[in-house]
Amino acid sequence: MISHFSLPYPFSDSNVYKYSNNAALLHTKNAIELTDRYLDEISLKRELLTKHPERCYHSSPHTMAAQWEIVDLIINNLVTYYPDKFELEKKDGQWIFSNLLTKETASFKFGDRTTLEIEPLDFIGRHVQEDLILMMQRDGDLILDAGQLCFPANWSLYFNSEMNFKEIHSPIPGFQSDFLVDRILQFLMRIEAGTPWERKNWSLMAGSRLDSSLETFSEWGQARKRVTKENAGELVHFRVEVQKLFRLPKSNGILFTIHSHMLSLEKFIQHTPWLEQFYAILRELPKAIYDYKGISLYREQVLDYLEAELKKR
Amino acid sequence: MHSKLQVRVRNIIEETSTIKRFTLEANDHSMLPYFSGGSHITTFLPYPSGTLERQYSIFNISPESGLFEIAVHLADGSTGGSRFWHQNVQVGDVLSVSYPKNYFPLSFQAKRHVFYAAGIGITPFLSMMAELAEKKSSFELHYAAKSKEQCGFYDYISKTYPHQCHFYFSNGDGAKRLLPTQLLNHRIGTHVYFCGPENLIQDFTTAAKSYGYPSFNIHAERFAPPQKKEQQAFQVKIKRSGKQLDIPVNSSLLEVLLQHGINVPFSCRAGGCGTCEVRVVKGQIDHYDSFLTEEEQRSNHMMLSCVSRGKGRLVLDL
Ligand code: HEM
Ligand code: FES
Repeated sequence: MISHFSLPYPFSDSNVYKYSNNAALLHTKNAIELTDRYLDEISLKRELLTKHPERCYHSSPHTMAAQWEIVDLIINNLVTYYPDKFELEKKDGQWIFSNLLTKETASFKFGDRTTLEIEPLDFIGRHVQEDLILMMQRDGDLILDAGQLCFPANWSLYFNSEMNFKEIHSPIPGFQSDFLVDRILQFLMRIEAGTPWERKNWSLMAGSRLDSSLETFSEWGQARKRVTKENAGELVHFRVEVQKLFRLPKSNGILFTIHSHMLSLEKFIQHTPWLEQFYAILRELPKAIYDYKGISLYREQVLDYLEAELKKR
Repeated sequence: MHSKLQVRVRNIIEETSTIKRFTLEANDHSMLPYFSGGSHITTFLPYPSGTLERQYSIFNISPESGLFEIAVHLADGSTGGSRFWHQNVQVGDVLSVSYPKNYFPLSFQAKRHVFYAAGIGITPFLSMMAELAEKKSSFELHYAAKSKEQCGFYDYISKTYPHQCHFYFSNGDGAKRLLPTQLLNHRIGTHVYFCGPENLIQDFTTAAKSYGYPSFNIHAERFAPPQKKEQQAFQVKIKRSGKQLDIPVNSSLLEVLLQHGINVPFSCRAGGCGTCEVRVVKGQIDHYDSFLTEEEQRSNHMMLSCVSRGKGRLVLDL
């Protein structure tokens, strides 16, 4: 499916949405994608990291080696896929990394924490639009041991830190039944180096804030009450997270990257097939799922809006 | 579905009369990927009758980083893999190997790690000991071989880990046997790791359980079964409708089910995500996925319809 306004489209052919393991192989093995929002989003990220470090960054001490592995992987991706925007020079273990978009150059000794002002994961995360989560594989389980998270869709890094995969996913309706959560964990444990994966998640958002953390719900959650059939097209945004999974072969951890894209409904529905399918999906969406996604307060208004738009086509 | 690496054989060392060590470097002069302690690779050996897949633990005890090393024991009545490595592979040869995988990782919470190896079973412990030494964690090795001469890496191990290694030689005067009762000497919080012939793994695992080790603290090396490459046509019967379907050689079961309006959910179509699982009531399955555990595959009750196939006829619970 072609992307309109560069929004990755999250639905398959089916008009019924239910939870499943919708991961697929990632053929272009790039963890990172740059969009035309690059400079705005990374400056917003840096502002949030400075003002709210406790909310946006967490790491356990034993993750340092894995953090360097992430730096290696991401810098490699950047210079391979965007050679005109990023450069890397290596001299006797000294790395000189240049970001030509921000006009910054960083020089450090790879693997030596003291040669960077901030932790390696925090450092490299400030050069990409993606949120970066490190799941360490420990004793047959996956634990959220480090992360830089500025654009969460209503969850909290602080709250989820040190949780395992199952605990993190315990609020999701229906996930525990059918052993779905066990199957997805099994899938994750089997991810191999050199064979990365990708999946997409979607939600709706009243407003257009990327930084919709659980901690700041009172600031952005109120907009849900203001949605009407008339303003839904402008106020409500369709949000897609492109998530990628990479095995880190040295630390045996998993890097989980999240790129959040957002588009107002009025732009989203300009492409008629998207309007038709999304209307069908939202109408049939089980209550447990739309409650969980936080759409209940304004689902009717959005449906009315989509229906009116459909009649015009 | 999985990516491969091209490697060149840089060096071959005869460690003992039956064990050769091969040092592999990236064919394009880049660095080979890092790997964690206990990792292995699959090697793809060009054989007249098709590619032969064999798994070997990797380590790197050479002074240079970015290399893989494997050790191959020439087994009596070798099934082909070890014979090929010993007789056909020369310095300079180029081969395909997989990325490193780890089915035998170190425990994170172990207070102490104790390794039990016999013969060529030493290989996964070479990378595990290197990782623990780097992290300054506590470990010891108990290593059995027929004699000092036939004990691979004897010099390297006794020089690098003089305080952690214990050798057991079964031949000659003063023979010393490695016995499971040795397991009684470890402190609470110890994790034990076994690698060697099947009977050693079984004896030590049974003993460890009887001595009260939680199964969580017992680890044994497991290699994925080699994949068969020849695909055959087969038939399935759908239990509920009684419908019979033919799956030709070049179609997957998933494709045929979808063509007949049986909507099995799927995602990756490559045997890796587990979404297209179907339940099997009857018949023998040929598994080609990289998702199900060995026990699940052996149970013969489930299959991933995008890649796995039947031998003859299967009855599906659909
Ligand atoms: C290993 C890396 C992963 C991490 C760190 C992660 C983290 C999260 C978090 C924090 C949430 C929000 C939970 C909440 O409401 O508090 C979530 C939701 C969810 N996750 Fe994951 N996840 C991972 C991988 C996956 C994978 C591989 C799947 C595959 C199906 C998956 C499926 C879901 C689904 C379906 C939701 C609900 C989303 C919604 O309906 O809006 N996750 N995940
Ligand atoms: S569709 Fe992913 S395993 Fe079959």
